[in-house]
Amino acid sequence: MVDSKDLKPHEFLAKILEPEKKTDHICWTCKHFKPVLKGSKFPPADLVGWCKKIHWPFYWCVSEYDVIKSCYAYEKLE
Amino acid sequence: MCDIIWCKKCNTVNYLDPYCFWNWEGKINCAECGEVYYIHMIQGHMYRGPEPRPGEKPDIMPLYADKPLEGYKNYLPGTEGRTRPYNCTPRHIYLGHADYRKFSIRNRPMRAWAPQPAAGGVAGAYGFYWDIKKLSPEVWEEYQEKIKKGEVRDW
Amino acid sequence: MTDPREVRLEDLPGPKSREELEDMKAPYEEYCRKLFDVGNEYVKPAALDGIRWMSCTMYIFTPHSVSNLAELGAEVIKIEMPRMGDPMRHTSPFNECYYYPLHDTRPKTGTGIGVLNANVNEYYITMDYHREEAKEPFYRLVKMSDGLTECYRPGTFDRWKQSYRYLQEINPRFIYVWGGGFGYGPKAFGGSYDILGQSHAGLASITGFHEDFGGHPVKHTNWCIDWYSGTQITVAVLAALYWRRKTGLGTMIEFSQVQAATRCTGYAVPLYGRFGVVRQRWGNWDTQLCVHGIILCGKSDYPDEKNPQLRNEARYVMVSAFNDPDFKELCNIIKRPDLYEKYKTHKQRVEAEAQVEIYREIEKWAADKSRSEVVRILTDAGILAAPVKNDKEVYDSEHFRQRGSVRWLDDPMMGDVLCHSSFSCGLLSETPRRKFWDFRPVGADNIKVYHELLGYPMSTIKKWYEENLI
Repeated sequence: MVDSKDLKPHEFLAKILEPEKKTDHICWTCKHFKPVLKGSKFPPADLVGWCKKIHWPFYWCVSEYDVIKSCYAYEKLE
Repeated sequence: MCDIIWCKKCNTVNYLDPYCFWNWEGKINCAECGEVYYIHMIQGHMYRGPEPRPGEKPDIMPLYADKPLEGYKNYLPGTEGRTRPYNCTPRHIYLGHADYRKFSIRNRPMRAWAPQPAAGGVAGAYGFYWDIKKLSPEVWEEYQEKIKKGEVRDW
Repeated sequence: MTDPREVRLEDLPGPKSREELEDMKAPYEEYCRKLFDVGNEYVKPAALDGIRWMSCTMYIFTPHSVSNLAELGAEVIKIEMPRMGDPMRHTSPFNECYYYPLHDTRPKTGTGIGVLNANVNEYYITMDYHREEAKEPFYRLVKMSDGLTECYRPGTFDRWKQSYRYLQEINPRFIYVWGGGFGYGPKAFGGSYDILGQSHAGLASITGFHEDFGGHPVKHTNWCIDWYSGTQITVAVLAALYWRRKTGLGTMIEFSQVQAATRCTGYAVPLYGRFGVVRQRWGNWDTQLCVHGIILCGKSDYPDEKNPQLRNEARYVMVSAFNDPDFKELCNIIKRPDLYEKYKTHKQRVEAEAQVEIYREIEKWAADKSRSEVVRILTDAGILAAPVKNDKEVYDSEHFRQRGSVRWLDDPMMGDVLCHSSFSCGLLSETPRRKFWDFRPVGADNIKVYHELLGYPMSTIKKWYEENLI
């Protein structure tokens, strides 16, 4: 059980929802990123997650092969 | 799968159905003792709570509650004042067992009750036509009554 | 002397001049009413008259594919398990709504209403065709039939020596349909349900409201992929029949239900292929048109009804006003002309953020109005708007009654049945669909088929019945 006393909601979610991969993408600190969770079998192997912003309401697949270093839609997690 | 609030006061497990509480913040009462708990759930995970908030008004009631340590004692959904009421078709329409009908909504006979007379044919073969006058004379009588009263409609 | 090869207009039957033609034309409305002649379908010829089909099917999906043929005039023999029948007979909404009788040996068991419309106009026989003794009548039926539809796991009929490989040798003109879950391939042994099709094909993931609005993937309440894929099979069968006319050869149709459902996802898969973008749910709105969706009004049309489905749910209106003049009019009606100034082009309106704002404003305007008020105001202004109807309102709809889509059938076996399916599939002027009966008890036509068609003596039929073969 995660102690959520002093955590903000996104920090809490980050603790609970452990991502499958860790890469150099700028997305990891972006609030519009939805990572592939640990233990997920279904998504294609190269996905690290989805961007919920740039094609909203659709999701854009973020592959581990195109490492994003900057993005116009980037918003840092507070 | 759903989260629960285990009320330590009265040892009751209150079940929170995932669809209502997936992203939810508010107060819920215990079905047994009425103790009010505050919870904040994010994406189906309990973020804050359950914290007791005695004396406050609950926002919603649990869906279902039971007392697993005391046998099968439970509060089914729709128990007044304890669990969340149904907001669907009133249950008196649905009885939970086969509902026999002899007439359709326009009062013409239909074969929706049991038992019906056996086929009479070899290997369970039925005739083509339901001769209602011969096979179900009492329904035929009733039908004639309905025609006389003008209850039989086209639509 | 006129040239005999010359065809003169005067000699031809029919109107002699444009004016005469115009005079002779009935108004289109009248013409259609006469042509389609709703209610008198039964006197017209049937398109598939002369086709005999065997149906070794269960539930809705494959039975419906054969039912389509039977409604168009094919003679269909539905083969069920002795004493049991199609398992669909034993499912009913909330286990309450049955027709009787099911079979002589089970007097208190009925046929669930869910089976309706899926096996129309068919002859019901029973046969445990996997048993060796049943092979002879089965093969004899194959010899005199045009095709068969089955829904067992892939390879089951092959194991029972009645797959296309075997039947083709008996009857090279035979059309064989396998309909099921995944088909051959990595999931050959996966069965199928409608909900599995909706989920596996990605349809459920784009049905319902967006995650950002608290939505979850939603399945359609009814088994719409069963009905949809059944119809797709019928399309394949009709093509196979035409192919057989040309070549004299049969076809095997292998139809995976979960595969068919991908067709309903529209541009979702190509979108992913092009951009790596995963289509998401967009609820009651539209991804390509705005305004083109369903809105919620504040007041119910039936505020005092006891039934919450009427009391709370008779509040939805479908509104469509996506081209510029319509949208401008809509903005004026809801007293937000600034919205039109803000989103002057459709390109701007259809943006997701714009849609959120526009629909919110329309719903704000509708918050103190009932469904019928909203429909009336918008329709009066020339904007397309329609109430979201429930089944009761469909039943009461004059439109469906006049066109015969919903009508009462005096089913010869089951009595009064309200039906819609057969007559809602489009009207054919010359060979319309028709429904003689909906379904019959298990094995009701055993004598007709085994004795009258195949010529087995009654003693054999009795013996088979005692042996549970039929």
